[in-house]
Amino acid sequence: MSGLLLAVWLLPFAGALAIWALGPQLRRGAGWIGSATVLLAFVLTLVQWGAATASGGAHRALVTWIPGFTLGLLLDPLSLLWSLIITGVGGLILVYSIGYMWSDRAIARFFAYMNFFVFAMLTLVLSDNLVGLLVGWGLVGLASYFLIGFWFDRPSAVEAARKAFVINVVGDVGIMFAVFALYKATGSITFAGIFSQRDALSGGLLFMICGALFVGCAAKSAQVPLQTWLPDAMEGPTPVSALIHAATMVTAGVYLIARFAPLWNASPPARELVGVVGAVTALLGAILGIAQWDIKRILAYSTMSQIGYMIMGVGIGAYQAGVLHFFTHAFFKAGLFLTAGLLIHELHDEQDVRKMGGLSRRMPFAFYAMLAGTLAIIGFPGFSGYFSKDAVVYAMLEHGQPALYAVGALTAAITAYYMFRMLFLTFFGPYRGELEDAELGILPDRRAHRDEHMPPVHPAELTRPAVPVHGHAPAWLMNLPVAILALFAVIAGYVAIGGATSPWWRFFGGLFGAAPAVAASTVAFSESLSTLLVSALVAIGIIVAFVRYGSPAAQLASVERIRAESLGRPAIFAHAFYFDDAIDALVVRPARSVGTFIARFVDPHVLDGGVRDVAWGAGALGVIFRALQTGLVRSYALTILVGTACFIAYFALIGSAR
Amino acid sequence: MSVDVTNYIALSAVMFFIGVAGVIVRRNPLIVLMAIELMFNAANLALVAFARVWVNNAGHIFVFLVVTVAAAEAAIGLAIVVAVFRRAENVDVDEVAGLHG
Repeated sequence: MSGLLLAVWLLPFAGALAIWALGPQLRRGAGWIGSATVLLAFVLTLVQWGAATASGGAHRALVTWIPGFTLGLLLDPLSLLWSLIITGVGGLILVYSIGYMWSDRAIARFFAYMNFFVFAMLTLVLSDNLVGLLVGWGLVGLASYFLIGFWFDRPSAVEAARKAFVINVVGDVGIMFAVFALYKATGSITFAGIFSQRDALSGGLLFMICGALFVGCAAKSAQVPLQTWLPDAMEGPTPVSALIHAATMVTAGVYLIARFAPLWNASPPARELVGVVGAVTALLGAILGIAQWDIKRILAYSTMSQIGYMIMGVGIGAYQAGVLHFFTHAFFKAGLFLTAGLLIHELHDEQDVRKMGGLSRRMPFAFYAMLAGTLAIIGFPGFSGYFSKDAVVYAMLEHGQPALYAVGALTAAITAYYMFRMLFLTFFGPYRGELEDAELGILPDRRAHRDEHMPPVHPAELTRPAVPVHGHAPAWLMNLPVAILALFAVIAGYVAIGGATSPWWRFFGGLFGAAPAVAASTVAFSESLSTLLVSALVAIGIIVAFVRYGSPAAQLASVERIRAESLGRPAIFAHAFYFDDAIDALVVRPARSVGTFIARFVDPHVLDGGVRDVAWGAGALGVIFRALQTGLVRSYALTILVGTACFIAYFALIGSAR
Repeated sequence: MSVDVTNYIALSAVMFFIGVAGVIVRRNPLIVLMAIELMFNAANLALVAFARVWVNNAGHIFVFLVVTVAAAEAAIGLAIVVAVFRRAENVDVDEVAGLHG
């Protein structure tokens, strides 16, 4: 069975290499190779279900790097779940991408990157040790960088890619410190080895290790205050946003915390910290989601908010609930992004919801897919998000965190509001695509920003003949994946019916251990009452959105409302709570000042100055001694003679006297 | 019967100082080279003399080495003299002072 594990891990990489090698010849064929390898990896993962869920999971040793550092692959329920999502949802997104990238010149490069990403993500989740995980952690960041900056002739895309990479490296460094500390304390880098020695960790050291791990989680999973790269990352093609920045990579933080459950269980303060950060992120993301006009940015902020829920859940110790939210989120968020991609495609790269509207008649399929995703993400009863979000929110009460519970419930209401706002703006009311920007309050500088979009003009790609545009790609290429994801967005939550006795809970067995409550349980009311309360809040959110955007009267007045809202948007929303400005003021500008100081003072005066002084000293000595160089051979000979005579005299007279 | 070693050493010293005087006083590079040869051989004479006194062959062997090096030195020295003469059209060692600091 372990050969299969190796195949799962390497198949996507083989696909990436093949596409890299043959890309220019393959063109669209690259898409088929990419999708086929990833879907085959999915099937091979499914085959290993039995081995993975058996005690200890499936394991394969790979290589001993340095004695004591044995790297290997591990497939246990947790990594099985992630692998299935990565290859399954990833495979669907790749099939969709064939249609989405149909007439892009660089379609082969796109699939090479996508396959490389799948390989990197599998490295991350399949590693049985922290070093392999860190390698995967870095590689997914690299793949993300490539794909955000895929259209590298757009300055904004390059900027966003660089920002994402730099912030992700901050997280990588955090994990690296955790690896150092864990190895020093436990003498092991494998998960099994670390957990068997976890008694060596306690108190402050454990808190610091968990904190360092969480820096990595926060950077990768867009948690406050390292979240600012995620909305900008929407510069990448939409399938990238669906795969990397919604379904898989950004949930790596959730995976890491769940994987290290035994450590978090032992450190209540660390769990409290993570729970609070997750809650703040959930709330902040939802609030910012209200004020966006770009459909992908709305979804980006909702992703940030939903990951906040997951982090809150796994952080506080409700691992099954947090991971369940990852599971359902992968389907509904990927579905939402791909549906948004359908709209963007249909409207020729229009992403501004102000220029949409009334699309439910024109694109009924997209409407129903979007509706399914929206109902799932807001936790509408019966849809998948309902089960997972309820489980996370109620776990806050079980673990004695009523404040976090309140934040979670409030965020659910806001989520319902901004998601239905998006739905109403895109699919209802009049179509506004032909209106002038000014009528909708769209400021000219934002438009200019987007008009930079052009097909890539890399020299090699330019000389390649343009892919002939045979109208459009076959419709099923893009619709089938969306339909499957929408279906799962509806039903995925049913695995968790029955709480702790459901298949979902039994799937993980005792993997996470028991998390002792951070504070005394403050269960003031039963889970069903909590569900009712959250559902009522969700209903309020929907109603407010309906009144403001969805009702027949609001639909008639939509243009005026949009203009008023665009022009009157508070600066705090336009600046996303000033996180970018704060990072700029606290980190970027001081760092730049230090650099300027070094360039203007330390470098010329201390470093170069030192070198210059040494050179000047050597020159001065030379001026003195060059008087001795007469160039007259005979005077040299005389000098040698006198010197030799002195030596002889010394040894003959003084030396012998001793 | 044998000659006292002191005589050999005295002869060696005289030869050596004739060589030294030659190097320092004369300006013709050929004479300078010859004077250097004289010093080499003065040293050689001292070496073989002491080798006989101490009955140690190291001195003899060293002389072979010195003779070999002296031959090489003479070859290079003459080559340099020829090269300098071609360039400078004179053979006065004091005129060849290109290394003046």
